[in-house]
Amino acid sequence: MKSVKFVVPLGSLVLLIAGVVLAPAQKAAKAPRKIDFNKDIRPILSENCFKCHGPDAKFIKGDLRLSDEKDAKKDRDGEFAILPGNAKESLLIQRAISNEKSAQMPPPDSGLPRLSPDQVKLLSEWINQGGKYEKHWALVPPKLSELPKVKNQNWARNDIDRFVLAKMEERGLTPAPEADKPTLLRRASLALTGLAPTTDELNNFLGDSAPGAYERAVDRLQSSERYGEHEARYWLDAVRYGDTHGLHLDNERSIYPYRDWVVNAFNKDLPFDKFALWQLAGDMLPNPTREMKVATGYVRMNPTTNEGGSIEEEVLVRNTFDRVDTTSTVFLGLSVGCAKCHDHKYDPISQKDYYGLYAFFNSTKDAPLDGNNLLPPPVIADPTPAQEALLEAAQSRMTQIERGTDASRARKWLTTNAPPLVKTTDWQFCGPFRRGSFEETFNSEEKLENWKPIKITPGVAVQAINANLSNGYFRTKLVSDRDQLFEFGVSSDDGIRVWINGKLVHSNFVSRGVTQGIDPVKAELRKGENELLVKVANGSGPDGFMITLGSEAVNRIDAALKGNDPLKVVQAYLQYGPEAKECIEYRKLIAQKILTEKDIPQTLIAEEMEKPRPAFVLNRGEYDQRKEQVSRQLPDVFETKLPEPNRLGLAKWLIDERNPLTTRVFVNRVWLQHFGTGIVKTAEDFGNQGEWPSHPELLDYISIKFRKDGFSVKKLHKLIVTSATFRQSSAVTAEKLQKDPENRLVCRGPKFRLDAEVLRDRVLQASGLLLQRQYGHGFKPYQPAGLWEEVAQSASNTKDYVQDVDPSIYRRTLYLFWKRTSPHPVMSTFDAPTREACLVRRPRTNTPLQALTTMNEPAFFEAARKFGEKIVGTKSTDESRMDFAFRTALSRKPSQKERTILMGSLKRYQKMFSERPQDAAGVIQTGLAPVDRKQDFVDQAAWSLIASTLFNLDEFLTQH
Amino acid sequence: MTRRELFGRSAMGVGSAALHTLLRSGGLMGGFLAASEAMAQKAPMGKAMAGLPSLPHFAPKAKTVIMLFMNGGPSQLDLFDYKPTLEAEYDKDLPETIRNGQRLTTMSSGQARFPLAPSKFKFKKYDNNQDGLWVSELLPHTGSIAKELCVVKSMWTEAINHDPAVTYIQTGSQLPGRPSFGAWVSYGLGSLNRDLPTYVVLHSKVTRGDADQALYTRLWGTGFLPGQHQGVSMRSAGDPVLYLKDPNGMDRTTRRNMLDDISKLNTMQHDDFGDPEIVARIEQYEMAYRMQTSVPELMDIKSEPQEVFDLYGEEAKTPGTFAANCLLARRMAQRGVRFIQIFHRGWDQHGDLANQLPIQCKDVDQASAALVKDLKRLGMLDETLVIWGGEFGRTVYSQGQLSRTNYGRDHHPRSFTRWMAGGGVQPGIVFGRTDDYGYNIVDNDGKPLNPNLDTYTPGTMHIHDMNATIMHQMGIDHTKLTYRYQGRDFRLTDVHGHVVKEVLK
Repeated sequence: MKSVKFVVPLGSLVLLIAGVVLAPAQKAAKAPRKIDFNKDIRPILSENCFKCHGPDAKFIKGDLRLSDEKDAKKDRDGEFAILPGNAKESLLIQRAISNEKSAQMPPPDSGLPRLSPDQVKLLSEWINQGGKYEKHWALVPPKLSELPKVKNQNWARNDIDRFVLAKMEERGLTPAPEADKPTLLRRASLALTGLAPTTDELNNFLGDSAPGAYERAVDRLQSSERYGEHEARYWLDAVRYGDTHGLHLDNERSIYPYRDWVVNAFNKDLPFDKFALWQLAGDMLPNPTREMKVATGYVRMNPTTNEGGSIEEEVLVRNTFDRVDTTSTVFLGLSVGCAKCHDHKYDPISQKDYYGLYAFFNSTKDAPLDGNNLLPPPVIADPTPAQEALLEAAQSRMTQIERGTDASRARKWLTTNAPPLVKTTDWQFCGPFRRGSFEETFNSEEKLENWKPIKITPGVAVQAINANLSNGYFRTKLVSDRDQLFEFGVSSDDGIRVWINGKLVHSNFVSRGVTQGIDPVKAELRKGENELLVKVANGSGPDGFMITLGSEAVNRIDAALKGNDPLKVVQAYLQYGPEAKECIEYRKLIAQKILTEKDIPQTLIAEEMEKPRPAFVLNRGEYDQRKEQVSRQLPDVFETKLPEPNRLGLAKWLIDERNPLTTRVFVNRVWLQHFGTGIVKTAEDFGNQGEWPSHPELLDYISIKFRKDGFSVKKLHKLIVTSATFRQSSAVTAEKLQKDPENRLVCRGPKFRLDAEVLRDRVLQASGLLLQRQYGHGFKPYQPAGLWEEVAQSASNTKDYVQDVDPSIYRRTLYLFWKRTSPHPVMSTFDAPTREACLVRRPRTNTPLQALTTMNEPAFFEAARKFGEKIVGTKSTDESRMDFAFRTALSRKPSQKERTILMGSLKRYQKMFSERPQDAAGVIQTGLAPVDRKQDFVDQAAWSLIASTLFNLDEFLTQH
Repeated sequence: MTRRELFGRSAMGVGSAALHTLLRSGGLMGGFLAASEAMAQKAPMGKAMAGLPSLPHFAPKAKTVIMLFMNGGPSQLDLFDYKPTLEAEYDKDLPETIRNGQRLTTMSSGQARFPLAPSKFKFKKYDNNQDGLWVSELLPHTGSIAKELCVVKSMWTEAINHDPAVTYIQTGSQLPGRPSFGAWVSYGLGSLNRDLPTYVVLHSKVTRGDADQALYTRLWGTGFLPGQHQGVSMRSAGDPVLYLKDPNGMDRTTRRNMLDDISKLNTMQHDDFGDPEIVARIEQYEMAYRMQTSVPELMDIKSEPQEVFDLYGEEAKTPGTFAANCLLARRMAQRGVRFIQIFHRGWDQHGDLANQLPIQCKDVDQASAALVKDLKRLGMLDETLVIWGGEFGRTVYSQGQLSRTNYGRDHHPRSFTRWMAGGGVQPGIVFGRTDDYGYNIVDNDGKPLNPNLDTYTPGTMHIHDMNATIMHQMGIDHTKLTYRYQGRDFRLTDVHGHVVKEVLK
């Protein structure tokens, strides 16, 4: 053994060992418990040793891998890092306790602390017990263990409770009493729908004393459309859903049909295995439905760019990284990202493993650069049922008309009446000319010499400038057989100006892609040759020019007459032919179709290339430092060879029974959602560095039950929220606070601050302003002026924030338009992620900026104002109004003390506002919502302040 | 605990138990939690919001950092990196031996040739503490503080496009998702003034209206760090801090009345439910109330004497200008804001550099220099570190058409210039040099250094190196300020960064 780390003579160490609990004799006093490698030992090794003695092949020091059982126990010239049964002779222990700097482990200069005596004791006992390694718990498929025995036989409502109670009893804790009914209903409503119960719902529940009332309430909540909207929110964080590309220009992109699909999937309880499969590889299933394709928006969700100067390959690599990292976090709870540069330091994921996963995601058809376009292909139209019905009706009537039209008569009419095409001579190009700004590029006059020939085919885009902030000119001659008003179309990337015979006939100063729109141009042509000159000005990124000659009609007719398809001739006739009855109806139908189609949302989807791109291990993750080629494969640690080595095969494996992670990872997140902390606290990391689950057997139990229940997410939620565990009161005693400060043992009910979206929805709901319109394009509510402008590039189409001014500003926050480089400030202030990267666990902070928001933000204060109005309008006395206010905001009645305090304030406010009516007017004029002029505005204003007070109580701001 | 007990104890009015829980509420993550609890016991009352107990790692030199960020990539060749010999090589091709296979952006990689573009601007030599500092005629005020500046001419980065490059220098990664520099500092060191944010961001109006480079909130975001560490934008229009102002019709007495009710009812709730979070929430509302006074006071620069405006320039009287922001930054530094970042956009001169760059410089030159002078005058420069610069440099060859009077320059990550002043950095020095083309970083003999990320190359300063050095001046060992996320200990400098001691006092 020539390792540097093992050369210290042992003699010098032995003396230092005394005093540490090592010898079996000393342990005999108390029978040692069986040490659990995964729970007790692996975290110590992972945290303190694996950095240099772990899975990363390149950074192995002293030729020792403590992550590998064989290597750790290898005979190294009579010395052993781990000598089973003999801690004293194991170098692992000797080094851990050595006081000699050169021998100490972890080395003093490593930045790692020394092992604590407790840790050394654990390691020693484990070695003495045989030093057996076990596979990391999360990599072993879940197994069903026996239901634990509990002393208290009366508490458990379902099996979850048995597991939870057993742990409590082990620690000498008892469950909290069940929460009172109003609290329970409020909690379940918030947990399942993100909204509080209405006063009617509350009264019904309080009045239902038959057994199973709570379960019935849960069923009602789960059958509400609000359920899917609430559930979708968590998923959209994880997949980093946004309405903009996310990088550089951060232009809008259309993918909200995916968001709506997620809502709908939860509402119809689409089984989770299908839910996962369709998102990852819906496009690769046999005969995929539209829904399956829309679901693949998941694959396209990564932030994209079209920054001028970007190198396509580099961007492709980065896009793919993001897909791999997100998929492994969302489904596997593994942070494989480290392995893009080197073997993982802690988890058994090698660099090669990483690129094996990478190879599943680098071969979709979408271009790496997004073109700054709304709909970078591939995309799919996703009409609503109403739109579909309209289109179908129009189409069937059109078919009927087509069948009733005689093709030869149509041909004859077209041949006689259609105008001939205009021809062009050869095209030429001149440029590029570099200018300082886009405006200058567009407006400049260039000295046009050195024309070069260029091939231009009508209807096909050509790129000729190839430089940012540059323009170029195209010219040809149009040959016409007569004087005529000629129609043609041009498209360009970006701006365009057109001259005919020296006269400017078209000018469009625009930043766009070449296929985004065709500008129609009309110009007088004289018989013979006419000079056509076109200038294209490119801002940044790719450039382009395209022309279509003649109107669409002329081209269509020409093509139909040249072709052999009688249907095409009939269609051209019906569309462009005489003012006959059937033609007029046909044209109306086409117009109707076009109008409907214009409104149909389109959405980004994934499609796989016929031939995959090759994938390579990339040194340090750099796109231009390719090493060996890799094929699509799972990391070695899973010991599985996929029968279909593609995205579909990967997706199938993710939901396969033999996959140890996916169900655990998902049910853990559902638990996290309901209790504020997961069974595995590090919901994003089930690897070696992740936290040991608080209730491992429970996690396995729920995972297995979830699969057995046909992956029903609704059943999963119901199982959890109907447990006695969930129903406990969240009140906490000093003893519990001390023994279990974070409530990891769940010895009381959950309590945590509501998420940004729920808070906003809640105040809207209480005020009566909440507009429950589902689906569709994101809405833009109140937002302080200038937030987008101050970050956006001048060419970005999300530079200017244009607030909606209709009731859509009161929609549920789920439907908020999400600009990834500048999300709404209320979202960010309450810890929502930017959606630029995958996040499965939001932090929950408590800051003064949050207090300022809930007190002063226009939507929150407007809601308080409207809530005040509702309170005044609903009841006639201040006493009953106070009851109503508490009921609506907090789902309970006020205590006498609370009533006294707030009544006192109410009187003060009423007095103040009657003395200062202008202030009352100020209060009730907040926001766009109309004011009820019939009410006494002093009362309205005074109650608005009480409403705002209620909105700012801890009890309102939390789920408890 | 009654409200009186809760608030009757000190100026800040919060007992140690409340502070304890307040800090506990700061994050859900284990490491932070433990750290905060430990800190709570030794945090001085009334002043600081605690950072990590192990910080600072050593005595800090700089209490405050003010970063003047020139977004877009200012041309080092027209401002600091003086190359007189280029004049003779006007319009000649960039020698292949100099370019040496370096990758280019696709904006100029298609160019048929790379014609050399000497700067059209005159340079002047200013005395510093070495053999002088050459500064372009566009930055006369900056030249006048040459004796305070440490000018680093050997900055480098790998990123070649704006979005990744800015994200890289601000967060240590070219991809979104990591915490920003200021967020790390807030997380590690905590605040010096609990009535103001720890990390403040200021956006500047740009004279050239069509400033064409974007910013992203991620540049001052928290990534995976707890949300309270995100940079707070202080704004020149509307509320200086979002939602600071009470609604129409509500005066301060009424606000106080409401807050009293909120804390009475919350305290009753706490009595019934025992959740310490409630106490923390009460304190956050009180802090919000205090911010409603402290922030307007901070933003009110009218109280500054005329001599201050003489120094910063008259435009400092116009809110939102770079000059006004520099003055605000000084006022923030005086009040204990730890990390202040001023963004100025529009430094992306691919073309028309001759017209654009002078306007850009005019926006920032006087105020940048004034800030340094002002801090010095007030005796604060020693404990305030000012940094000036962008995310990368620009090419020596012209992008697009080259003429004697005008040209453009593409992105150049291989060498660029930034300067530092104060905060324990050596004044009046130049660090690092480039070859005669300003293309490659070279040693004293003119030999290319070709730095790489694996090992530190003396004489060079990667952006990680500069970030490590700035952290060092704040008392932070950049390798030790880490945060566990997804099983990995992340840090600002990733697995790189070297404290460049040569530039330190």
